[in-house]
Amino acid sequence: MLRSRRFRIWNNRVHSLFRKDRLDAELTQELSFHLEQLIRENVADGMSPEAARRTARQALGNLSQLVEECRDQRRVGWLHDLWQDLGYGLRMLRQSPGFTTIVVLSLGLGIGANSAILGALRSTLLAQVPFPGGDRLVLVRTYPEWNPALTNSASIPDYLAWKQQSRSFESMGASIADHSRDFGAEEDGRPAERIEGHGFSPSLFVALGVQPMLGRTFTEAEAEIDHPAPVMVLSHRLWQRRFGSDPGVLGKQVSLSGTSLTIIGVMPPDFRYPLDETEYWVPLGINHFQLQGSARFFEVVARLKPGVSVQQAQAEMDGIGAQLARDFPDRHKGWRIRVQALHDAWYGWMKIPLATLEGAVALVLLIACANIAGLLLARGSARRPEIVMRMALGAGRGRVVRQMLTESVLLSLIGGALGTFVAWGALRALLQMNPPLAGQRITEVALDLPLLALLGLLSVATGLIFGTGPAIACFQLDLAGPLKETTRSAGSPYKRGRLQSALVTLQIAFALVLLIGSGLLINSFIRLAGYDLNFDPEGLLTFEYRIPQQQYVRNVGVFQGAPYSAIDPSPTPAIQRVYEQLRTMRGPESVAGISQPPVNSLVLNTMGFSIEDRPMAESDADGSALRAAYFLITPNFFATMKTRVVRGRDLNDRDSASAPWVAIINEAMARRFWPGEDPIGKRLILGVVSGERPREIIGVVRDIPTRRDRAELQPAMYASYLQQSPDYRGPIANMFGQMTFLLRTSGDPMSLVPEARRAVADVDPDHAITRIQTMEQFWDGGLRYRSYLASVLGIFAFVATVLAAIGIYGVMAYSVAQRTREIGIRMALGAGPRKVLAVVGRRAVVLISFGMLLGLAGSIALSRLIASQLWGIQPTDPATFTGVSLLLVVVALAASFVPARRATHVDPTEALRTE
Amino acid sequence: MPKPSDLLQGTLDLLILKTLVREAMHGWGISKRIQQLSGDVLSVQQGSLYPALHRLEQQGWITAEWKDSDLGRSAKFYSLTREGKQQLERELESWNRLSSAVGLLLKKA
Repeated sequence: MLRSRRFRIWNNRVHSLFRKDRLDAELTQELSFHLEQLIRENVADGMSPEAARRTARQALGNLSQLVEECRDQRRVGWLHDLWQDLGYGLRMLRQSPGFTTIVVLSLGLGIGANSAILGALRSTLLAQVPFPGGDRLVLVRTYPEWNPALTNSASIPDYLAWKQQSRSFESMGASIADHSRDFGAEEDGRPAERIEGHGFSPSLFVALGVQPMLGRTFTEAEAEIDHPAPVMVLSHRLWQRRFGSDPGVLGKQVSLSGTSLTIIGVMPPDFRYPLDETEYWVPLGINHFQLQGSARFFEVVARLKPGVSVQQAQAEMDGIGAQLARDFPDRHKGWRIRVQALHDAWYGWMKIPLATLEGAVALVLLIACANIAGLLLARGSARRPEIVMRMALGAGRGRVVRQMLTESVLLSLIGGALGTFVAWGALRALLQMNPPLAGQRITEVALDLPLLALLGLLSVATGLIFGTGPAIACFQLDLAGPLKETTRSAGSPYKRGRLQSALVTLQIAFALVLLIGSGLLINSFIRLAGYDLNFDPEGLLTFEYRIPQQQYVRNVGVFQGAPYSAIDPSPTPAIQRVYEQLRTMRGPESVAGISQPPVNSLVLNTMGFSIEDRPMAESDADGSALRAAYFLITPNFFATMKTRVVRGRDLNDRDSASAPWVAIINEAMARRFWPGEDPIGKRLILGVVSGERPREIIGVVRDIPTRRDRAELQPAMYASYLQQSPDYRGPIANMFGQMTFLLRTSGDPMSLVPEARRAVADVDPDHAITRIQTMEQFWDGGLRYRSYLASVLGIFAFVATVLAAIGIYGVMAYSVAQRTREIGIRMALGAGPRKVLAVVGRRAVVLISFGMLLGLAGSIALSRLIASQLWGIQPTDPATFTGVSLLLVVVALAASFVPARRATHVDPTEALRTE
Repeated sequence: MPKPSDLLQGTLDLLILKTLVREAMHGWGISKRIQQLSGDVLSVQQGSLYPALHRLEQQGWITAEWKDSDLGRSAKFYSLTREGKQQLERELESWNRLSSAVGLLLKKA
């Protein structure tokens, strides 16, 4: 019932909108019919036709007004008005193409960038951990009390205690990287292949809530301590690639790095955990030494019980951690537990850079709005006669404001349409951001419907923000005046002047905040980028050769809490063969190797040591004070890196296993342990259990930074890979069986790859080389993200400064134009150019000062937020604050000086005559 | 002739609806009928009739159709819709309530 009436109403509205002409014609016909009847009646009453017509017209009243009233009943008048306003607005915009272009461009950039970043932020929040009920998955990790920013994984005692005692979790599992394994070359021609995999506790599959696509995962019995079962689960990729998607693969025996394993399952294609490259899973191999160990290498993931929050779990784990520290102080004292949602760990890293960028682009958009508002104000005075004319013709105030706002929103919508393209480009750029370790890249950012809606909303809001002030300001003027006069002298420009002043003050403040923020980031970046690497990354090819750890590391016990291993049979001869073979290549100028990448290594191996003939200080007793990074190198390493040997010599071929054992240290180590002394000739004793011999320091080299994104200077020592003891105490026994080779060439490093591959295959067909890249690719990784953030912010700051300069220029030019008469009088009364400059400039100085004060206060409040993105400087770095402020003051003064100078050229007689 | 009293605000709608109960009519006919039925006491302001008709049409109470009129040319004929009849009931009821209340008040005062 009701629906039919609604339908009728809708039908009427649609007709009113789209059949307007027909309806109008019908209306005229209807009224003229009525008129005719009236006339006929009057004539019948005996009037003359002339009088009859006149009386009838009187009875009906003002006909056009009646028509208008009838039309108003259609309730779609506002739409027609809007249409009219739009058409009028478009004409106005076409009339001033310069103004329109500037405004649309700046709005397009502003709106587009804002939408893109908000869209990316939204994707960060919406991104799903790709496991069933992924929002209940948490990472449980440890961190040292003295530095909560450091995050460590868990030790086996940690994991077992947590698993046993906690009540917050449904299930908990642990994983650790399995030392990569090798398929040997096969007779049917399939080449040797290295695959990366992880050891998983059986409970980890349960916690993650994943099922294998084929077969099964591990049983608890298969993860027996000291005897992990020889079974493996394949990734979908590996199954396709190596086994041709053979469904009969289950139960098959494969030989991997000399061990025979049975394939028991294949995971679904979308299961790529913990790394994208993970190709297989084996049972977590725990040995009974690790039950007492304190090495924190195991990644623990748990699933919260339904209804348990991360905070509740954290509170419970705090209690468990405190109890562990009391019960086993030597293992757990000084360590705390952190529970973090997996979602945060994966995607949280984007929040700070995105929020920083969003802050920047929001400021730019606001500055642009202020500028456009300023432009509209100036235009408003030029359009006053037109507005007054419209009002005289009967347009209400609301109607005129609506007209002005329609124009503003029209502008911002056109800007928004342009912004769609900007947003599309910016989103793609945002996706290029590289996640840090343990972070995941978000791939699900698209220009989707909600984002487009946001863009539209932002456009309309922007139009209202910059349009409202100027539209209302139109009426704060004397409206009668302009019809008589021209635009020259505004009735009372002061209110508008005040609005303009406020706009400019805000612009300067916003620009300063942005300049300081980007100044801090750029400053920090320059410190990092300009940091002397002390080696030449250009022309260096790096790749890794590695023998699986299972083939040479034998666990023989625990010594002072660290695993104690025998290195047997020694992998050194194999590495030596590869090294000698690479040296016979004709391409490279020089060849060298190092046990871990010198920069950006995932693991930084440190070694405790003592100094011969020096009594151990009290504080050194726990062995923590005398530690340094430790690398095994081949001869000519520093020559190949082009790192300067400051004192002494590089390692050479005479430093063989039988020669006296030697070490090379870096300057940081020399400074730290031999301040004011010459370390050459001093002897070190490394903390290896037996078979170690004192090493004479034969060289001091420049510091090579260990991490590119945090150029930290770490004491480091280098020893020959040939001069090593067969025993090792410590967690990183695999350093003996791996070598990152460096090949230096004057040509393209990548051109050496095929020959290097062949050379290695000639002496060892079973172990392929991996991680092939140029050194530039390698060290650049950590820096690119910072340079990206700094340069993007720098561009925004530049745009903001230019906009603010335009803003203050506009205000000053306007104010000088307004005060031409006053200046003329002053000059006529004898004021010199200097005096005029002072009078006009005072306003600029006041505006700039207020803006700067506001901006400085804002910067001090806001710069803390980017503290985590800075390196080497404080968020309130005085140099940056002063320098950037001075820069902005100079730009702002320059922008206001031009119109102020114009004021001194005012011709008094001319100025007085024009009024 | 005494000047016909102005229609109370809102009563015009009621009168129009009531007039259309029996048959479809054009604007001219409606104004004549109201005048005639009220014994020439009420005369519809010619100017206010048409906006009212258009408003009622937009609201869906009445609907219009172009037909040949008895006066020799086609005219816009208005008729009540089903919902319009219900609306008339409601308006009548509230009118009765109002007029009896006013009558009561005038009697007592």
